[in-house]
Amino acid sequence: MATEKFIIPIGPQHPALKEPGHFEFDVDGEVVTAASVRLGYVHRGIEKGAETRNFVQAEYLVERICGICSHVHATAFCLGVEKLAGVEAPPRAQAIRQIVAELERIHSHMLWIGVAAHEAGFDTLFMYSWRDRETVMNLLEGITGNRVNYSANVLGGVKCDIGPEQIDAILAGLEFLEERTRHYLDVVSNDALFLRRTRGIGVMTRDEAERLGVVGPTARASGVPRDIRIDAPYLLYKEFPVELIVEEAGDLEARFKVRVRELFESYRVIRALLANLPEGDLTTRIPRRIKPAETISRIEAPRGELFYFIKSNGTDMAERVKVRTPTLPNMASVVVTAVGHQLADMPMILAGIDPCFSCNDRMTVVRRNGERQSWTWEQLRQYGIEWYR
Amino acid sequence: MSTITALIALLFFPGGLVILLAGMAYEWADRKLVARFQNRIGPRWFQPLADNLKLLAKEEVIPQGVHRGLFVALPVIALSGALTAVLYVPVFGLAPSFSFAGDLIVTIYLLSLLTMCTGLAGANTLNRFSLVGATRTLTQMFSYEAPFLLALLGPALAAGSWQISEIAAYAEDHWLVLAQPIGFIVALIGLMGKLELPPFDAPEAETEIVAGPLTEYSGRGLALFHLGKGVELIVGLTLVSALYLGGVANPIAFFVKTLLLLVVLAGLQSLLARLRIDQTVGLWWRYGAILGLVQFLVLIAWEGLVA
Repeated sequence: MATEKFIIPIGPQHPALKEPGHFEFDVDGEVVTAASVRLGYVHRGIEKGAETRNFVQAEYLVERICGICSHVHATAFCLGVEKLAGVEAPPRAQAIRQIVAELERIHSHMLWIGVAAHEAGFDTLFMYSWRDRETVMNLLEGITGNRVNYSANVLGGVKCDIGPEQIDAILAGLEFLEERTRHYLDVVSNDALFLRRTRGIGVMTRDEAERLGVVGPTARASGVPRDIRIDAPYLLYKEFPVELIVEEAGDLEARFKVRVRELFESYRVIRALLANLPEGDLTTRIPRRIKPAETISRIEAPRGELFYFIKSNGTDMAERVKVRTPTLPNMASVVVTAVGHQLADMPMILAGIDPCFSCNDRMTVVRRNGERQSWTWEQLRQYGIEWYR
Repeated sequence: MSTITALIALLFFPGGLVILLAGMAYEWADRKLVARFQNRIGPRWFQPLADNLKLLAKEEVIPQGVHRGLFVALPVIALSGALTAVLYVPVFGLAPSFSFAGDLIVTIYLLSLLTMCTGLAGANTLNRFSLVGATRTLTQMFSYEAPFLLALLGPALAAGSWQISEIAAYAEDHWLVLAQPIGFIVALIGLMGKLELPPFDAPEAETEIVAGPLTEYSGRGLALFHLGKGVELIVGLTLVSALYLGGVANPIAFFVKTLLLLVVLAGLQSLLARLRIDQTVGLWWRYGAILGLVQFLVLIAWEGLVA
């Protein structure tokens, strides 16, 4: 019995997970000695789907990759296709895209604060942050008409304008949110009992973070200065820059602080954009068929770097659309940081990277020498049965 | 006491049916208060009753690999332990149904029976979440039990009796919360640990180990455990109010004092994040036990000097 491993399975169905994923933690008493992760339960074949639809339809499709950061997917796709077609969205459209993107970051980070607090059994913070998050959801609904999949983008511009009344509503909403965010910063940096669950837990050093290639707030909490909005500005981030928020500690507390402090940057940028909203058209014409070319487009999603590779072939459909969502590089850090911690810390360490399973699930086949590349439908089906057994 | 009145006390009032309903009412009050503190609406007044009726009507699934007899018997023993404890405490501000010298110790151990059964129920199954939950339940029990006992012995020592009714009578004209504030705090926090309320809900932390030791329980067994929890909530609140808050001589005093304590408990539940099990044990043995012991020694010294 002493040599047998006691494995705690978390998932695919588990109260700690809002989406299916499978984690196995070998425990010695309460201490985790090894961890492994298995993903792919919600692979939806969106990349393939995007290749069989024209660009306009594909934009609609990629927006549904993630339910929380839907806007950044659409924006990354639009920016890529516009680059391929050689057009640029008018400045006002770019400003509105950026405003919606930052509002989305606010809603995503507030959602994360709630989820991570819930994992630590701190349900009051969960309820409060989700209540306050309704404010930003209402603002997004006011601008775009939708709470979740805003569909603010079209190829070559945006669908919705921001009028004077909406500016007032947004400013009032931001006022309230900023006050609440100050409270959250106070809670996550001063609540003694909560700090016992976050300080020094799940520490990832800067070296480790760079070796694992983590992105977004997870990397910035470990002191890695990595933010696409600053490293490779897109939209109007050159004219209205955000400040880089970095914490050195690399533990859960730092991840909380980075995300909460980023909210203040979002408020500031949105206010600056609203004060200097460029005049002009909302859309520009974009050709239906796009000459053969390929491009990449990178965007800072709430969770980190979102990467799109788009290849066109002269028709109105993409030859290849490749998406790399930020959860994919961050996922490896969970397995590394989990070892040596208590079982009770696992949900928080997992939530600490703000995982989004269905965004990152994809199928990859590594071709070895002599193996055939094309699979029949029957083989694929068999593979799926074996994989999920 | 005649057989008929004893039977009524056992089955209907104050033990038995009425205390089960009262337990559910207190559970509802607790849930509603926490919900309001968290800015939620909370359950309707009959929610715990509806939950338990539904569970009682459902099929009880007995998983493979368990000792069937134990699996069925443990919820019954747990509930009967809690119900027996009711008979020795002054619930609803009435005199205890039964009373003898030393019933304080018996009551405390009857209350522990529920925790004990929960732990055994978890250890009885093969479910890995249950096993971890059972380990945590029993670990937590061993950490809060001694300080809780010490905290309740303080009033006993002051009253010079081990009988709950005599201590309560003594406490009626001595507000012991003022004389023994440390003991009161330890008793209150100990009660939270006993009831596995947040922040001491590591044994049933849903984000880690689903439902802890009761993961495999469904239907009747789960309902009986829930009912036992509700009864234990009332008994615990009654004990602490009777011993520390100036006694519960009449129904009004009982409801005012226990509900006041419940508000405090609900506030603490919503204020605090969940402690890890190692932190719980550390808290109890590093602070709870030491504080309880200090209070106890001071009392003994005081009694020795005065007497």
